[in-house]
This record gives sequence, C-alpha cells and structure tokens, in this order.
Amino acid sequence: MYFEAELKDKKYKVDVHEERHSWKVSLQQDGQDWQHYDISKTDFKHAEEYVSFLFDGKSYLIDVLGQDTEYTVFIRNSFRTIKIFNDEMLLHESLKKGGGAGSNIELKAGMPGKVIEIFVKEGEIVKAGKPLLIMEAMKMENEMRASSDVKIKQICIKQGDSVENGAVLIRFEKP
Amino acid sequence: MHSHEISTPQNAPFKKILIANRGEIAIRVTRACRELGIATVAVFSDADRESLHVFLADEAYHIGPSPSKESYLNYKKIIEVAKKANVDAIHPGYGFLSENPVFVRACKEAGITFIGPTPENMESMGDKLSAKALMKKAGVPLVPGSDGGVETVEEALVVAKKIGLPIIIKATAGGGGKGMRVVRHESEIESAFRACRSEGQNYFANPTVYIERFINDPKHIEIQVFGDTHGNVVHLFERECSVQRRHQKIIEESPSPSVPMDVKLKMGDCAVRAAKSIGYVGAGTIEFIFDNQTKEFFFMEMNTRLQVEHPITELVIGVDLVKEQIFVAKGNKLSFKQEDIKQKGHAIEARICAEDPTTYKPSPGLIRACRHPQGPFLRIDSYAYPGYEVPIYYDPMIAKVITWGDTREEAIDRMQRALAEFVLTGIKTNIVLHRTILGHEKFLDGSYTTQFIEKNFEVLEPQMFREVNDKVFLIAAAITAYEDRKSKDVRRYNVRSNWRSLSRKIQLRT
Repeated sequence: MYFEAELKDKKYKVDVHEERHSWKVSLQQDGQDWQHYDISKTDFKHAEEYVSFLFDGKSYLIDVLGQDTEYTVFIRNSFRTIKIFNDEMLLHESLKKGGGAGSNIELKAGMPGKVIEIFVKEGEIVKAGKPLLIMEAMKMENEMRASSDVKIKQICIKQGDSVENGAVLIRFEKP
Repeated sequence: MHSHEISTPQNAPFKKILIANRGEIAIRVTRACRELGIATVAVFSDADRESLHVFLADEAYHIGPSPSKESYLNYKKIIEVAKKANVDAIHPGYGFLSENPVFVRACKEAGITFIGPTPENMESMGDKLSAKALMKKAGVPLVPGSDGGVETVEEALVVAKKIGLPIIIKATAGGGGKGMRVVRHESEIESAFRACRSEGQNYFANPTVYIERFINDPKHIEIQVFGDTHGNVVHLFERECSVQRRHQKIIEESPSPSVPMDVKLKMGDCAVRAAKSIGYVGAGTIEFIFDNQTKEFFFMEMNTRLQVEHPITELVIGVDLVKEQIFVAKGNKLSFKQEDIKQKGHAIEARICAEDPTTYKPSPGLIRACRHPQGPFLRIDSYAYPGYEVPIYYDPMIAKVITWGDTREEAIDRMQRALAEFVLTGIKTNIVLHRTILGHEKFLDGSYTTQFIEKNFEVLEPQMFREVNDKVFLIAAAITAYEDRKSKDVRRYNVRSNWRSLSRKIQLRT
C-alpha cells in the first residue's frame, strides 16, 4: 500500500507490504534513494494498546494515535506528528468533512475557555492564517487562525466571555 | 524526629483534615495524614470526579463547576463542606486558597484550624513594597534601589547615578511583564520612566514606579524556613530553582551547586531573621535573587505556603514538611532545632507537565499508557494513571519525579534513568526537555541561570528529539496506517474516538 508522508518539513514516499511473517516497508525522503526495511512480525508486536518494536537492535515501546491522515507516534517520551495519506484517505477525509456549497462553516471552541481578544469584525474578509481571536485555557493563551480564506458572517461571542467546549464562536461564509 | 509511637487515631494531632486542593499536592497531604492516623476529606470540581486525589481520600465532596473560581477558590463552599464533614483542620496545599488571609479568618470563625501561617503573616508579605520595607528593617539585603516610589525624571536620574546601570524601572502595581523596563544607558532613562508610569496608570490605575539595580543573568535561590507558635524559627537550607521558563520553575535541586557554605549560612540567618521579624508560623520560603559572579544575594519575596518543590528539601534534610505543618498547626513546638538540620546528599526534582516541550502549549487530554519509574532513591508524586483525562482547567503539572543521590552527579544520573523509564503516552509531556536539560553542560557544571532555557533553547530543541531516529516514527506510523486501512477492529476504533475530540482541540489551537 502506497502512502505519502510529511514529518515536520520533510516529505516522504512510503510503501508498506504485508507478508505472512513480515512487513516490507520502503521509505524515500525527498527524492533520495529508496530504503527498504524487512521487519519480522515478531519484532513489531502488539501488546495491549501498545507496540513493542525491536528495530536495529533497539527496543522501543510505541504508542500510535491515528486520526484520519494525522498520526501521532509516541516513543520513549518523544513524539512526532506525521501526516500520512494516499488518495483513498484524502477522499475519505474530504467526504467526512462534508459541507458542500451553501452550508455555513463555523469555528467552535475546542475546549472550554475564556475569550481574551477578538481581531475580526462581522462582514470582514479574512485570509487563511490570519488570527481570529485569542482564547485562554489552562493558564495559557491560544491564538486561533483562519484555516482558509473566509468572510466573517457572525461573531457569536464577545471579549471576556467564558465559553463551553463546542460553543460556536464565529460563523463564516464563502468570501 | 517525631514520637517513637506508632500513629493511631487516638494519638493523632487531628481526627480529620479537609484538603482544599487537587492533583498531586492533595495526594501528598493525604499521605501525611494517613501516616498520622488522621482521616482525610477530598474536595473536587466537576472536572475532577475521576482525579486520583478523590480515589485516595477517605471521604470526598463535590464543591462546584470546573473553573477554579467556582470550586477550589470558593472558600465559602469549602468551609460549608468542612463543617458538614466535621473536620477539625484544613490543609490548603499550594496555590488556590493557600495564601488567602480571608480564607484563613473564615476557617477560624468556623472553629476550624487552618494548617499554615497566620493571616497577618500573609498580609505583611503579600504587598511587594511593604514586604521590602519590613525586610529592610530586619536587616535582610535588598536589591539596591530607590526607597519607595520615584516621582520625577530628575529623581530617577539621581537614583540611577547612585546605584549604577543597568537598572530596572517597575510600576509598583505592575505584573505580568507590564509596567517594567530595563535601562542600560543613561539616555534611555527618561523615556523608560515615562513608559512605566503610563503603563502603570493604564493597566493598574497607579502611576507609581520604583527603581532597582538590574541583576544581569541571576540565579533563583530560596531558603526553606519553618516557624512554630512558640516563637521558634529554623531554616532548612536552600533550593536552587533557576531552571525556569516564563517564570515557571521546571527543575529544582538542593543543595545549590553555586552557593558556598559561608554564603548559604548567611542566607539562612537572613531568612530566619526575616521570618522571625513577622512572627512567622509554619512552612515558608524566602526567595532570593542571587548574583553568581559576586555571590551577593537579595531578598525577592516570601512565599507563605508549602512549595511545589518541597520534596527535595525533605530528601536532603530528612524531615516530613507536611507532617511538621500539621504538628505546628496543632500548637506543638518544632520537632527539630537549627543544629539538628544538616544537608545530606543531593536531591533533584523534575516537574512533568502535560505540554508540548517545543511550543510550551498545554496538552490536556486522555492518558493512554502510564508507567511510572521505580527503583532505589526515587520518589514519584503524581496523579497520572492510564485512562485519566487531564483536564484543561488547572495547572499542566501532572507529576513530580524526585531523585536522591549521595552526590549531585549520582542524583542527575538517577534522574536520567528514572525519566528514561517513565512511559506516558496519549498526551505530550516535557520529559524529553528534562532529559535534554539534564545533559546540557551548563546544567552539569551548575553555572545555569534563570535565563538558561531562553538563551539555549535553539540548542536544546533539536536535542530533544534526537534519541529516536525519524525513520522509527515513520515505520510505526506507516504500519499502523496500513493496519487501519485493512482492519475494521471495533475496539481500536473506540479507543480512537477519545483521541478524535482531543485532536480537534489541538487543531483548533494551532
């Protein structure tokens, strides 16, 4: 099965084949040579929720959290978030997001918190990446940015409001 | 140094104690109570029903919604619960209500013993300028500066001449970095002075500013003190807490590698004098700003509570500070005298936080794997367990790892070993940051200052993730992605769904 992967700013091509007793994994980083790994299934062993991975003579206890195309891998208290995808996964993801023309898009609070500052006004057209507002949670301020170019249809909160998880903060429409 | 009897409910100093806190410190206090034969009462907010401190206490009461203001800071509710549970004392832990004189007085009115200093102790140390005035009277060295407020630019120039540049101008009412300017050249004094006054007026409705010598690249050294109701005050030597990020301590150690014995004895004397001058009762900490070049030290502030990092003092001195707090609150004399107090060996504490070690953003959420380190000369104060969801409302610190060694080197090696053993997945933690700091030459030679992380972060950051090669991460992700495509494993899907909401949270924040 073929995937593309991104780890920080590096891009990889990945090929995974399952055989009866082993995994054949091939990696290619940014057009460099392919590297091939033959991993015995006894070296990549599921134990409870985790994986014990014996690789290159080293023993790793691994936990992988996957959601759609985003995989976070924990090893020895290091972790990496890897975007891994193929055409099928990308299609699946876009279908799940749904929406379609005409439907409203909303920014919801990902956690309960307090609205510290709002940077945009209703009717304003905002470019992707522009900060929309700052929320405070767990003693930290977090900036929320527009993920694509949008028009601000409605601002549902005001500065100083405490909001619950999932509360609608801003409604958007197509610019 | 306490009685040689086994503790029973009959000889316990109190029958029942309510712990007005959460997380690891609530558990720490519960442990002391249990060893003394005292029954414990936990309180919890909506978010903390499944917090470990609730499970470990003898009794537990709900006190309100998740935000601290409506639960752990709601002292009326806490006193109501204390009365209902019929406790005879309240331990406040650290943070929350621990330094609130209003709460202490409310306890007294309700006929409940507050385990901690007097409200007068708290008030005299609560205000920066009045605390400094008191300390000056007690002969504790202060950072050279203006006596109180500075009203005009001319006055500011005179003060600057007297104490020498660089200086720092601070709004009396300021905080959080606002109303503060460092001045390195005389020509900048006028504009910095005006800026501080106007920020003080705009943010804190008080234009008063004062001036101090700016100590470049200082260390943070603090002295643990203990007083009783009979007028005795003893110090328990120093802790160094210079490894900080955004004024939050990350690693603490005792003894400090930088304070010579004659200086630490002087600091101890000053701290005792400071505490005695206000009739201090219970556990407290005098924080000093320490100039590692000149070995000068200056009073910064006094914390009128038990500190997060108290375990390192416990390990090198051999005193249980929480038990001592309980006995002092009962009215007992201190169980030790100054001459009994000796530092033995070396202790280090690492604060494990649910946060991304590169961005320092909090990483609350579901803990999947959690296996604490074990083994010799190691102490873990933690409230993490597998399946526990770290709430978003409170401090991100979830565990403290404390190691003891005969020497500093052994304590560091042991900490490295312990952290390597610590398995914690599902949330991001700063364990890799700790391991990187512990291996850094500036930490190893003890020359680090409070600027250490900021100044060295560019070196530290890439080191953090060096231990495991990227291809190991990639192979693990690739095989799992493959399995996910192939399998329709329901159990795995259910586990995933917890991650789903968390992952959304994280996405929204970036």
